[in-house]
Amino acid sequence: MKSQTKTSTSSTNSPSSFVDQSVVSSYIDSSVLYVPGDVVLDLSSMANQTIKLGGGLHQFFGYIGGHRMGAGGKVQGVESPITLSSPISISFLYNCDAISVTKAGKLRFVKPNKYWVESSQKRYVPCVGDNVLGIVVDSKADNFLVDIKGPALAFLPVLSFEGGTRRNIPKFEVGTLIYVRVVKANTGVNPELSCTDATGKVAEYGPLKDGFTFESSTGLARMLLSSPTCPVLEGLGKKLSFEIAVGLNGRVWVNAEAPSTVILISNAIMNSESLSGVQQKIMVEKLLQRVQ
Amino acid sequence: MEFVSPEGFRLDGRRPMEMRQIRAEIGAVANADGSAVFEMGNTKVIAAVYGPREVQNRSQQINDQALVRCEYSMANFSTGDRMRKPKGDRRSTEISMVIRQTMEACIMTNLMPRSQIDIFVQVLQADGGTRSACINAATLALADAGIPMRDLVTSCSAGYLNSTPLLDLNYVEDSAGGPDVTVGILPKLDKVTLLQMDARLPIDMFENVMQLAIEGCKAVANYIREVLQENTKQLECRRGT
Repeated sequence: MKSQTKTSTSSTNSPSSFVDQSVVSSYIDSSVLYVPGDVVLDLSSMANQTIKLGGGLHQFFGYIGGHRMGAGGKVQGVESPITLSSPISISFLYNCDAISVTKAGKLRFVKPNKYWVESSQKRYVPCVGDNVLGIVVDSKADNFLVDIKGPALAFLPVLSFEGGTRRNIPKFEVGTLIYVRVVKANTGVNPELSCTDATGKVAEYGPLKDGFTFESSTGLARMLLSSPTCPVLEGLGKKLSFEIAVGLNGRVWVNAEAPSTVILISNAIMNSESLSGVQQKIMVEKLLQRVQ
Repeated sequence: MEFVSPEGFRLDGRRPMEMRQIRAEIGAVANADGSAVFEMGNTKVIAAVYGPREVQNRSQQINDQALVRCEYSMANFSTGDRMRKPKGDRRSTEISMVIRQTMEACIMTNLMPRSQIDIFVQVLQADGGTRSACINAATLALADAGIPMRDLVTSCSAGYLNSTPLLDLNYVEDSAGGPDVTVGILPKLDKVTLLQMDARLPIDMFENVMQLAIEGCKAVANYIREVLQENTKQLECRRGT
């Protein structure tokens, strides 16, 4: 969720009042889950402010829409503000800019001005800076073609490795699993990957040998990467030693000494998708008892 | 034939302005990126969405927007008489096109250029209003797949029999030969994306019937909202966030 599109808008309100504006707060409170089409912000009342929009939010120009209003709510953006005496649903036509939601999820906010909608899905939308697990599909003279579960195959330039020159091009077989970083994700062009960190060092990127890969939703991947460490990994890590690589695109790679450990860990992770934190702990404990 | 009794009840016991019971379920197909089952009374459809993914046929690729494809089919067992050819006939080709155009209007195709989104809808049980049910199922499946949409599209049909406007026709009412108005709307934007009618209807009645169908669409939209919010809430609470 690092790539945000920049939107220059104008506002007299401070960013923290994003969801607290009269129109918005009467329309939805901040704990509400959004579905496509919901308007989260009416920009016509704002001046000189920059906000950054992430996935799931979109700015519409000349938006024509309906607003549901609470009692006494004020509608801005029309010629004369309307005050309603009773909670009713009205539809009206107004010509202004609005930020509306394009997918179902929860609105997130990071200070000072970043907003996005968080949801879990099976397909991945490439974002600059995300660490992902890709599978090499083809190799061309300049690029490796890598599947990262996105809408298009990603390019991994053959020179984007530490100390990469024309002389020492790495050899990846088709089907190799690699841990890479997304460096370019523009619409209309295939995303570009890199096997080095921002300073050109190899860091932890590169091909992953042995082990077992499975696919999950992007939500599960985010949970596994969250800090503090999620209960499944913490529970498993106390008793077992294993390696794990989690890609934000919903691919997980696990490796351990014994195949049985790999199976146990992958099953535990896959099962944890539909469990809460406490349930995860219990599940892991049960699994570990069965092994020992 | 009498479709509305003197007491004001329809053949299946509904009032003229009453919808059938609707039920929806998200995530019915494990392999699809998004899927949903939608029921309107005895009509039951399943929708699966794949994509956005690489365009399979390069010649169809569009450079500034996503290619949306839709396939409508009816299961052999969906109707009273077993269907011989469940897809590829004129009717299903037309409905596929209608659904495609309706969904294309709400998907923000410009955000995913050079990719393809496939929508598969199959009718499991047909009892009138399959077109509407398919559109509703497709909306839910698209939302489940996380495909950016301007708004939810919802659809509902209405008819005019025995000089009474009827909401959400079932198979018997549908095959009576009266007018059948199917409307698809973007509820938040208050825009119509689909409007179809077979048979004839006096122009002064048309507006009433269409308004009734729009009210039906809004009811469906409210339900779909609830289902989506419930689904998100479950995902959230599982994560413990």
